[in-house]
Amino acid sequence: MTAGDSGFLFTFFNPAVAKQYAPDIAAGMLVTVGVGLAVVVTGTLLGLALAVARALGRRALAWPIVAFADIMRSLPPLVVLIVLYFGLPSLGLPLSAFAVTWLSLTLVLAAYAEESIWAGIRAVPDGQLEAARSTGMRWWQAMRWVVLPQALSRAVPPLTNRIISITKNTALGSVVALNEILNNAQGASSHAGNPTPLMMAAFAYLVVFLPLVVFSRWLEQHWQRR
Amino acid sequence: MPILDISGLRKSYGATEVLRGVDLQVRAGELVCVIGPSGSGKSTMLCCCNLLETPTGGTIFANGHEVTSPLVNINRLRQEVGMVFQQFNLYPHLSALDNVALALRQVQRRSRDEAASLARAALEQVGLGGKAGSYPSELSGGQQQRVGIARAVALKPQVILFDEPTSALDPELVEDVLNVMRDLRTRGMTMLVVTHEMAFAHAAADRVVFMDGGVVVEQGTPAEVFENPREARTRSFLARYGSRLS
Amino acid sequence: MDSLIQNFFNLEIYAQVFPYLLGGLWTTVWLSALVIPLGAAAGLALALGLTQSGSRPLRWAIVAFIDFFRAFPPLVLLILVYFGGPFLGLELNKVAAVALAFVLNNSSYYAEVFRAGLQGVAKGQMEAARSTGLTRAQALRHVVVPQAIRNVLPDLVGNAIEIVKLTSIASVVAMPELLRAARDAQSLVFNPSPVMLAAFMYLALLWPLTRWLGRLEHRRARR
Repeated sequence: MTAGDSGFLFTFFNPAVAKQYAPDIAAGMLVTVGVGLAVVVTGTLLGLALAVARALGRRALAWPIVAFADIMRSLPPLVVLIVLYFGLPSLGLPLSAFAVTWLSLTLVLAAYAEESIWAGIRAVPDGQLEAARSTGMRWWQAMRWVVLPQALSRAVPPLTNRIISITKNTALGSVVALNEILNNAQGASSHAGNPTPLMMAAFAYLVVFLPLVVFSRWLEQHWQRR
Repeated sequence: MPILDISGLRKSYGATEVLRGVDLQVRAGELVCVIGPSGSGKSTMLCCCNLLETPTGGTIFANGHEVTSPLVNINRLRQEVGMVFQQFNLYPHLSALDNVALALRQVQRRSRDEAASLARAALEQVGLGGKAGSYPSELSGGQQQRVGIARAVALKPQVILFDEPTSALDPELVEDVLNVMRDLRTRGMTMLVVTHEMAFAHAAADRVVFMDGGVVVEQGTPAEVFENPREARTRSFLARYGSRLS
Repeated sequence: MDSLIQNFFNLEIYAQVFPYLLGGLWTTVWLSALVIPLGAAAGLALALGLTQSGSRPLRWAIVAFIDFFRAFPPLVLLILVYFGGPFLGLELNKVAAVALAFVLNNSSYYAEVFRAGLQGVAKGQMEAARSTGLTRAQALRHVVVPQAIRNVLPDLVGNAIEIVKLTSIASVVAMPELLRAARDAQSLVFNPSPVMLAAFMYLALLWPLTRWLGRLEHRRARR
């Protein structure tokens, strides 16, 4: 082994630096996972609510929902984050970095979720709703028990992919100083004058997201059987 | 020398043996029809002849070349042994002309103009000269299958394999395809046809082969097989489907 | 309310910074034009390797590559390539580093799209093509791949739109694309209006594309 090789390892995989900053990275992981989970829950629920509202069929309701979905899907998430970060304080709503990151990603995920679920609802034959209503069910009941289960089943594969790619954007929170993995790693790296924390960050992200990706691949293969 | 010489052909999928020693010869200019119940291995045998399936035993010679040899040139072989499919398998993104011309250009390396005129001639031969620019989705099932035949014919093969060519067609479209096949026969094409069209086999075939359970049970002229079957299995099969003769 | 307009919809500032943002928009456009074909080509190659290869280790390696880069946040990848590259002796200029990170990230998404497209082409197509003597490569090139692309065209376009949005991340490493231009202008005029203007410009660029994408998806659903 030449001096150059050990130099590489010493630079990127320095055990002493790793040990010193491991707690920071771990703390960042908690934040990343926390924001991620919160975004998944609220984003999906909001998307579901919007899709159902759109299914009501009232023009006045449908139009703003479509506009919202189009806008949120046409803007880069980082732009949404920055606009909200600077904009909300002007409206008298100074939110923490955690809250702003959570809110922006929720809005973006809701837009995609709404489109996926709406496509699923459209794909369910009209006869399903008619049959359910003909047995005396009210519209809400027919949606809840007959249409939505089928719609959601169709929406799951594209939705899981979307959820993963949007929650990875929690890393963007570092731009507004959210103390998630990347931010903590960048701080640690400049503190230590050594990029090892960045490698730890990479590893930490893989630990969080690789299982999700593998799970979504498994889901895609096995979901059809239902 | 027969154009197609199949000897002791065997094919297994794992533990299941589908072909258990098939012997069959097709001579130049002959139209041989293969009939039999589903699962008898007829289509599998056909697919072994152009190596869309790999035999597990036995030998096949096509036009003097050993198909079952490990040194066989598959792409050369397939220019000499053409195939027409039950599901047509036309390329949906290409026009009828391009469907026929593709192999002429890419395999036989002909120029664009040469390939186009040869393709046009093949389409005219099957009665679809006017549909050269149409896409498969614009054609009826019978027309699509005739394009499939043109696609095989254009390469000027020594023998054409037909895998239930009319089974996927509506009854009124079947006759058009059978007419093209009769016409091919009068032009001297050697044809091996797996079919359920008993009337066609009875009227047009030089020889009829009855397969069951992965082997050839009996073969002979249409008169021999349809009117005087020797084997009990042949008789019981014909009893079920004999009404199709009229 | 008034302060909102002053801070975000300040027309004077819009006029002032617009030419500067236009330069950023141009960077966004050519960066996308660079990355999209590279990512798509790499993705197609990966998908072909995945669906056509008989070698199990190769297929596993490709799946591992795809899943790795789908799991890795693009911003982190960019930072690693950008700052870490020189340590590995990789003297990449800014554009090359950004392009490399984006292509690595995006080729994995393109690979998944192409994989689905290739697997969706009926098996009979390959059989028919081979039965006329075409080699595997010829059959793929003339018969299978064109149909695969047709089948997943909306997803390919959708992915391309994602790449255009992704370029905004390059602002973090001071690439002068649209968001960076807006942020720089923001610190110069001490007013967040430029960022809002950039948002409008993104919308003007991408909203029509998103609508077109919706029509493509609608057409596919009806086929």
